[in-house]
Amino acid sequence: MEIKKQIVRDIPRRRFLELSMKGGLLIAATPALMSQLVSCKNGARSTSALDVDKEILDRVISKALEKGGDFADVYLENRISREIVMEESIFKSGLYGISQGAGVRVISGNKTGYAYTDEITEEKLLRAAEVASYVALNGNTVSPVNIAGVERPSFITVKQPLAEIADEKRIEVIKRADQAARDYDPRIKMAFVNYNDEIRSRVIANSEGIYLRDELPLLFFIVQVMSDDGTARHMARERLSKHSGFEMFEMVSPETVAERAAREAIAMLDAEEAPAGMMDVVMQNGWGGVLVHEAVGHPLEADNIAKEIGAFTGKMGQKVAADCFTMVDDGTLPNFRGTINFDDEGTEAKRNVLIENGMLKGFMTDILSAKQLSMSRTGNGRRESFRYIPIPRMTNTFIEKGDDDPADILASTKKGIYVQSLSGGSVNPVTGVFNFTCREAYLIENGKKTKPIKGATLIGSCLDVISNIDAVGNDLDFGPGICGKGQIAEVSAGQPTVRLRGINVGGSKA
Amino acid sequence: MKNIDLTEKLVKKCLNLGADAAEVFLESNRNLSVNVLNSEIETIEEAASQGVGFRVFVDGKMGFSHCNDFSNRSLDDTISRAVAFARLSTPDENNVLTDDKGFTQVADLFDPGISAGTMDKKLEMALELEKLAMKDPRITKSSGAGYGEGESEIFIGNSNGLLKTYKSSGCSLGVYVVAEKGNQKNTGGEYCSRVFFSDLLPLEEIAAVASKKAIELLDPVMIKTQKAAVIFDPDVARALLGGIISAINGERVMQGASFLKDHLNKQFASPLLTITDDGTRAKSLGSSPFDGEGVPTIKNVLVADGVLKSFIYNVKAAQRAGVKSTGNATRGGFSSLPGIGTHNVYVSTGKHTRNEIIASTKRGLLLLEVTGYGIDSVSGNFSGGASGIWIENGELVHPVKGVTIAGQAFDILNSIDMMGTDLDMNRTNTSPTFRIAEVQIGGK
Repeated sequence: MEIKKQIVRDIPRRRFLELSMKGGLLIAATPALMSQLVSCKNGARSTSALDVDKEILDRVISKALEKGGDFADVYLENRISREIVMEESIFKSGLYGISQGAGVRVISGNKTGYAYTDEITEEKLLRAAEVASYVALNGNTVSPVNIAGVERPSFITVKQPLAEIADEKRIEVIKRADQAARDYDPRIKMAFVNYNDEIRSRVIANSEGIYLRDELPLLFFIVQVMSDDGTARHMARERLSKHSGFEMFEMVSPETVAERAAREAIAMLDAEEAPAGMMDVVMQNGWGGVLVHEAVGHPLEADNIAKEIGAFTGKMGQKVAADCFTMVDDGTLPNFRGTINFDDEGTEAKRNVLIENGMLKGFMTDILSAKQLSMSRTGNGRRESFRYIPIPRMTNTFIEKGDDDPADILASTKKGIYVQSLSGGSVNPVTGVFNFTCREAYLIENGKKTKPIKGATLIGSCLDVISNIDAVGNDLDFGPGICGKGQIAEVSAGQPTVRLRGINVGGSKA
Repeated sequence: MKNIDLTEKLVKKCLNLGADAAEVFLESNRNLSVNVLNSEIETIEEAASQGVGFRVFVDGKMGFSHCNDFSNRSLDDTISRAVAFARLSTPDENNVLTDDKGFTQVADLFDPGISAGTMDKKLEMALELEKLAMKDPRITKSSGAGYGEGESEIFIGNSNGLLKTYKSSGCSLGVYVVAEKGNQKNTGGEYCSRVFFSDLLPLEEIAAVASKKAIELLDPVMIKTQKAAVIFDPDVARALLGGIISAINGERVMQGASFLKDHLNKQFASPLLTITDDGTRAKSLGSSPFDGEGVPTIKNVLVADGVLKSFIYNVKAAQRAGVKSTGNATRGGFSSLPGIGTHNVYVSTGKHTRNEIIASTKRGLLLLEVTGYGIDSVSGNFSGGASGIWIENGELVHPVKGVTIAGQAFDILNSIDMMGTDLDMNRTNTSPTFRIAEVQIGGK
């Protein structure tokens, strides 16, 4: 499951055949399900296909609103991607991809019409506009404003542009990681090293008159390491990702990434069966923030709130969590994996405080849900590619740091589970019921981390868990991830060390 | 130029641009979806798209590239990228392409009637489905209903002279509703996917299942942490199937990354467990005349009476293992290399009706929902969140939510002691209801 999961979740591809023929239809047909199914790419090619005259885009937007509607936008995209995979110290594959296309959207009341095309020509764009305008029959009409370029701040700096990096350098970092993993311990049998990079170029134009164009570089480096001592096996994982140039590997070396994974793989060989039932959980700082990403973040995305079915519906301004709990989604953290300067609807990235000292302060909106809820746009309207409608998504989501010393948090926990890292998890955004699978976890006995335990599932409900957080450390850290909500988005999640009281642990031992 | 001719031409172009051997995978698709919410259109999406992937070999080294722009300049550039990339890679003697020109006859994979229906009719179906699912007064909110359809045409050509194509279609209806009672909320959803539009189940039937799922877990009672029987509903059987399928992936087996790696032709599960993968079944969404690299599909018994009979392979993994491809190359579309996966996996039926299984259970959980990743295919560890209905003395007594179930794969699979008769062959991964004699349940 582990490997398959990695392939499905960590190495997303344009799966539109599969999406349209199988699972995707389920998702298309049951929109809320998709939010429960929780779970990117470079080159020197010119993106001249995006050099579409502003007058043409004006005509497309006018066409989209010809039958009526409140809003229309055009999104042009060019993505150049590379993926290199090494398994068993052999290059399994090297992928190079070019994907380009455009989508036209019309919003009329609560209705959205959408059509996309692989070919960026005026004829195809006008045809897409006509299809998208289907929803606007008999709707209100706005007159589009002619588009003009606007400025947005950038939170992404690049020192070594991906387009200027020779493939030999990419191959070198992969080999270094593989070598470091195997040198760590003779019980390390194999490393899976997955290198991804991409440059996504976007043009966004809409009926409010904005025209934006930029280029987002993204690097994603995943090392999985398998240990086997003849009786037990463990697949460990470490990931590194940034919106930046190749200098990412000077800040954290490929060896460091591999050694972190190898350390986990060896430590977990001695894992015993986990206990079952309700207990206290201490979560180490970093990627554990995926717990609040899922459990609290998804239910705070405004689409389900606008439908009046989300777990936090009607709770704005109310106390929903413990006093020590503050949660933020911040799309402006420099070069972070979840930072995209402006969202895929052109709204600039912001720091949005969602819950402050236990009080519900904000939801994450896109243009449509902001309108429906009469709220401001928070810069969370994101899309996987031109083949998808933008929807409210997280960027870099984290629990704000607190006052507690992480060592004291552990020492004051008599009995429970210490979770060093999680594989991932999912949430039902309507009920707020979540689940996570531990990747590396230990028993806590008398305030000390003791025996490692096998991957147990943690379950609970979002409103309970944030009410029952009783310690928040001062050691905020982040990890990179992929979030799936019918479409994927690159995000990061973070937290300081925290303690959660009364989580149900799915162990196999009474 | 027709896509079939283009595919053939592109194979030659790969060779002209420096490849020793090459495979071209080209697809064209059309998709439509409509979602409704509270009796109004929420979204309508429509698109046609295409793309092509190139797998090239140079001195036994492989490179891959893909694009969706079919201009000559773009195609040449993309192929050259794959060739350049191959030169940097490491040689692998298992980098071979199939020369099997065979074509399994699989009936009814394409319904020309899907695109014939009007948008208004499809919209009307989604609206009606939502309305029907909201009929019960305990259902308080809709999370939406939808209809989706797709048509796809696949072309594969390679430098061994292989050139194949087939067309397929699919359509789907789904609805998702919320039941509320006091502070409680519970969601329920159901969908129906078919190759043929006319085979979609009656709207009443789909709506009734969604509504029932939302309602039946209201007023749950927490149970104690204990060991008890667990009856897997067909909906959740895949939580176990997925881990088994990943563990019999021939490539992972050779890498040692599978809890079943040493169990070929050995008894590893209860004799009640027989699992088959059938890529040849007519009118099935998982079927095709050939797999993702052109190898004809077969019907393959994976597990017979608890004995592991076969691993699954694509051409490269089979070459390495010294066996023949089982026709299990899967592709996530034109932009991905062939991986390894299944077509239509089903667990064979047993002797007991679902009601008999429930009636013969003294104390246990009828498992209706599982969350988490299922069986870990490397370690064989299983742990998940669970909901369902508690059984005492053969009677369903109350709903249960927020518990966990866990165990080791071999223990769980050997403890299957009753297999049901209720198999729905319209699903691609499917099983009858079955019972595990004893599983650790985590509660209060």
